[in-house]
Amino acid sequence: MEDKKVDVLLVDDEAIVGNRLKPALTKFGCQVEVFEDPKEALKRIDEKEFDIIVTDIMMADVNGIQLLEFAQKKSTRTKVIIITGYATEALAREAMAKGAFDMISKPFRPNDLREVIGKAAKALGFKERTVA
Amino acid sequence: MMSAAELESSSKHGSTLKMEERKAMVETIDKGLVERPSFSFRLQLSLGFLLLFILSMAIIIGSMTAIKHIQNKLHFFQASERFLFEVEQARRWEKNYFLYGTNLTDAAQSASNAKILLSQSLSYQKIDTEQATQISYNLDKYREILEELVILDKRSGIDLAQKQLIETALRKHGAEMVEVAVSLTLKEQASINALLNLIQQIPIYALVLYLLIMIYVAHFLAQRFMKRLNFLIDATQRIAKGDFSPIVPIRKYRDEFTTVSVAINRMLEELDTRQKAMVESHKLKAIGNLTAGVAHELNNPINNIMLTAHSLLEDRKDLSEEELVEMINDLINETERSRSIVRNLLDFARESESTSEPLDLGMLVRQTIKLTENQIKVSGAKIDVTVQPNLPNIRGDKQKLKQVFLNLILNAVDAVSKDGIIKIDVEKSASPGFLAVHVLDNGCGIPPHILPFIFDPFFTSKAPGKGTGLGLSVSHGIVNMHGGRINVSSEEGKYSRFTVLLPTSEIPADINRH
Repeated sequence: MEDKKVDVLLVDDEAIVGNRLKPALTKFGCQVEVFEDPKEALKRIDEKEFDIIVTDIMMADVNGIQLLEFAQKKSTRTKVIIITGYATEALAREAMAKGAFDMISKPFRPNDLREVIGKAAKALGFKERTVA
Repeated sequence: MMSAAELESSSKHGSTLKMEERKAMVETIDKGLVERPSFSFRLQLSLGFLLLFILSMAIIIGSMTAIKHIQNKLHFFQASERFLFEVEQARRWEKNYFLYGTNLTDAAQSASNAKILLSQSLSYQKIDTEQATQISYNLDKYREILEELVILDKRSGIDLAQKQLIETALRKHGAEMVEVAVSLTLKEQASINALLNLIQQIPIYALVLYLLIMIYVAHFLAQRFMKRLNFLIDATQRIAKGDFSPIVPIRKYRDEFTTVSVAINRMLEELDTRQKAMVESHKLKAIGNLTAGVAHELNNPINNIMLTAHSLLEDRKDLSEEELVEMINDLINETERSRSIVRNLLDFARESESTSEPLDLGMLVRQTIKLTENQIKVSGAKIDVTVQPNLPNIRGDKQKLKQVFLNLILNAVDAVSKDGIIKIDVEKSASPGFLAVHVLDNGCGIPPHILPFIFDPFFTSKAPGKGTGLGLSVSHGIVNMHGGRINVSSEEGKYSRFTVLLPTSEIPADINRH
């Protein structure tokens, strides 16, 4: 159980975010699936139960809140981490009220996200990871 | 609610002048207003009354002259009567003399009395000289013959034949004299009657004339007065529509209204200053709104740079050449992206004097949409832009026009719900020489009862603190300044469409200024 990789789904319509975070989180012991299109992400969430979902809050078509609600309906176990930007505090607060695990503000360092994911993984009963 | 209302506001005048130029212009116009010769309503009224007074005086003097005339004629008439009586008396004595040989001296006496009366009555009235000389001549002849007869009678050496001759001459002159005198008297009587008639009619004519003059003066003054008043009313309506060009003298004379015009020009100057301040303050507000969006927008490239830089730092040793180049290119591109976001805002925010340059309206609209992209994204609305190809350029102030489209787009964003669609079309207008930008949203629409007020300053239908009520007013001012128009049509609950018409640069913007 302890060696098992953390299943992470990451949604951000900025391609670079996925490109950089996928290797960074893989190194951190995660099994990462990256989506730029939130609709695709919803489909995938419907298919598979992820441990952690990291989603940008502001996206065209489907926003982070909708994704959060969908994920929670699918599985109460899944931890959702919200990526927020400036001027989206209201949405972020709404997300927290709706049961998001935590939020992280853009711009952030890979380690900032690793730390939050570490906390979430620990809460899910995974082995504690240290951020390099 | 199925009523679609349409409101059009347009302006033919606009001012693209700088403050000092405007001030100088207003001063010149004011000088022009004041330096005209004065022809005040007080003067006009006084002149009207003076005219009436002169007329009354003329009528009174005329009446008095006529009465004096009648008086003279009456005297003359009386004298003529007495003259006739004496002449007739003389004729009777003369007859007695020839019948009975008596009363000859009485006849002579009466004749000389008549002579005196004749000169008296002639002093009263000048009469036809021919008739006067005829009477005088006959009277003198008559008296001469009578006196001759008296002398002959005294000598009593008068023979019948001679007496017969004298009698004939005497009768001839006597009859002629009487005849002329009678006709003269009759003529005078007729002329007295005519004069009396005239005097009776004068008051009636005078009354009618007075009435006509009064009507004319009242009408003339009222019309002039109303014309001035209407001119000012037109001016205020023009001002209400946002045209702050000063009132220019149109007539040769100044009057009481000139003071009002000068005061209005003073007010316009103030309004213009305020308007400029208002435009500026509204722009600041818009910049504030945009800044929030831009800050969010900037987060993305900065985040990308941050993540990429950290990845480079962490994995620099394990990365292939290709991966390294890709990441460095990402860094460069994302920096580029940040720069363009900031530049876009700065471009809009930059303080500048009014400029006029050839502009590609389609490009300008696209740039404005770029500014608002984030707000649109937040709202969840879709924006759809169509630009007709090969449009002619327009001339204008890039930043100010951006402000107009920004206001319209942000209003549309506020009006639509989550799945709203904002359609923007840039195309040739139906009115030749104009380009049209339609901003159509399928949002809440504008209720017909507020439609006429939406361009008024400080009118807002947004929640307190959300809108300044200046956006459309300022936009309207800016579009007017470019010689264009903003039209709006809306149906409550269905759509709003704002259309900005701007003249193309082939046709000068001020073609309809005159």
